[in-house]
Amino acid sequence: MTQSLRTAWFLLSRLMLVLAAGMLAGLMLGSLWVGVILSLGVALAWQLLNLFWLDEWLRHRNRHDPPDTPGLWGDVISQVVRLHRRKRYHKERLLQVLRELSQSTAALPDGVVVLNALDEITWFNQPAARLLGLRGRGDRGLRVSNLVRDPQFRDYLGRGEFAEPLVLRRTEPDVSLSFQIVPYSDGQRLLMVRDVSRQVQLETMRRDFVANASHELRSPLTVVTGHLELLLSDDALAEDVRSPLQEMQRQAYRMNGIVNDLLDLSRLDAQAREAASDEVDVVALCAILRKDVLARPGHPAVALSVETHARLLGDEPGILSAFSNLVDNAVKHTPESGVITLRWALLPDGAAQFSVADTGRGIAPEHLPRLAERFYRVDTGRSREAGGSGLGLAIVKNVLMHHGATIDVQSTPGAGSTFSCLFPARRVKIVAEERTDPPNE
Amino acid sequence: METADLSHHISRRFNEDLERVRAQVLSMGGIVEALLAKSLTSLIEGDSALGESVAIDDLRVNGMEVQIDEECSRILATRAPAASDLRLIVAIIKTITDLERIGDEGEKIGYLASRLAVMERPENKYREIKHLGRIVSEMVHDALDAFARLDADGALRTARMDRVVDEEYEAIHRQCITFMMEDPRTIRRALDVMWAVRSLERIGDHAKNICEYVIYMVHGKDIRHTRLEDVEQHLNSEKGPTP
Repeated sequence: MTQSLRTAWFLLSRLMLVLAAGMLAGLMLGSLWVGVILSLGVALAWQLLNLFWLDEWLRHRNRHDPPDTPGLWGDVISQVVRLHRRKRYHKERLLQVLRELSQSTAALPDGVVVLNALDEITWFNQPAARLLGLRGRGDRGLRVSNLVRDPQFRDYLGRGEFAEPLVLRRTEPDVSLSFQIVPYSDGQRLLMVRDVSRQVQLETMRRDFVANASHELRSPLTVVTGHLELLLSDDALAEDVRSPLQEMQRQAYRMNGIVNDLLDLSRLDAQAREAASDEVDVVALCAILRKDVLARPGHPAVALSVETHARLLGDEPGILSAFSNLVDNAVKHTPESGVITLRWALLPDGAAQFSVADTGRGIAPEHLPRLAERFYRVDTGRSREAGGSGLGLAIVKNVLMHHGATIDVQSTPGAGSTFSCLFPARRVKIVAEERTDPPNE
Repeated sequence: METADLSHHISRRFNEDLERVRAQVLSMGGIVEALLAKSLTSLIEGDSALGESVAIDDLRVNGMEVQIDEECSRILATRAPAASDLRLIVAIIKTITDLERIGDEGEKIGYLASRLAVMERPENKYREIKHLGRIVSEMVHDALDAFARLDADGALRTARMDRVVDEEYEAIHRQCITFMMEDPRTIRRALDVMWAVRSLERIGDHAKNICEYVIYMVHGKDIRHTRLEDVEQHLNSEKGPTP
């Protein structure tokens, strides 16, 4: 307040001074008015000159220093200079932050490509250029699928959900790339590319090892079981040796089962392609499974609930091993007085469901998410005793995956469990009803 | 390059049509590339099932050719394109023919691979076929890249690779003849190998054709049946005064 008062007073006094000087000069020349007009004219010219300088300087403010003028004009100029300096400071800081951001993105070891709503490339960093063979600025604005032309990548890009990354293997040179799309604001998408050759290689090595090891274990086991069988068939065998030998035979059989399951699994792992589409008669399969159960000592009752004669399009040996694993599990956990129900039904949307329900002990909810893990056991002591390998559900899950099917487990502890396999409509073939009564009664 | 700018039309629909048909060609190219890679893998690794599966991909390629052809006819009839747009459509019609032929040759290699898989493999495990296959796959890839980028220089560079392919083809040819003279029992296998190599050489020629269409599309010059050096000189002299 005082500052502006002082400035106003200063200006007023200046004006008075100029006016007084003009009047004095006018009096000396003999005409007061001429003096006043002259003095005002000089004052106006001075202000205009200052205004001109200010304008000149603002126009070329980056090249010239501000004009050095006293008074109010000086104040105005210094204010402008201060504003200008502050603006430049902020701009530089912002630029600095931006530069750091883009440098850090460019320095990421993974490739990053920014795509707009039309899947055109807006920006990419150096690793992305190296991994995808993109070049310079010229590639910005091109559709990414025009340059990365692999049909699988195209399908992935066109798909709506990107929970799982896509892994593509190129043969020449032998490189595996993992693609992951992250959508963000306004239909923009971030494409992350990583070189996963090493992981893929390790995974292959692990698989090969399991397959080879199981294979190598099988031949000595065959010799052992063969000799044990020979020994046990000898009637002259002393009783005190017989019992340990029988135990040895049981364990050898169990080991054989585990090795076979491992081989099955590694075969399924290696088979990356979709399963075949042969027609599988599930109704007949159910009958076979039921017969198997009835042939065992101390078996529970088995009920068939066939609601459709639709055929399943899939790989028959795989389907059989998956279903029999499910039935096996049900038998193991159901007492003689219980009931196992095999159900084959069509759902309204064209999908089909095969389910195995038992009235056994059920599974506590905390075990459900981990059931299909290899060698995971709900009750360690019990399932070893029952002769399980711990691989059954892993096999089921793998077979179903190759058929695009899913598994669902419902279980109430004490009341029983239901394992349902849900096959998509493209895996189901509807056929005319051939017979109305359930087979093999 | 003024031709790279496809977004200069007042009619947005026309732009979209051109962009879409171009993307379709490149998607067809992607399938052809994958098909070629598959047939080469099946040949080198002796995977007969993979070799037979190539035929299914070839069916897709054939279907796409028909579809893109129809699309081009529709654009010609309804939009009556001129200048660079007309060149684009003409180039596309020719490119898809060559892509389809590449698909056919790839299918042939896959078929030969499934036949060769049951025969005894030579000691070098088809190393030279692997080498030639790599060059040819790269040519197809680069030709399609040049098509996507409308990059005439890249197209010219790629077209020049055809000479290397021809040399490699000659070398394998001679080698096969030597094998056959040394041990007549290998004649059957060597003949099949020669057919496969012949297919690869043809694929190289088709890739070269695609490069020529790219140059036609960008510069409006038909360079077929012209020596590549002359083409280069011509393009440079054209570029010279107005850089």
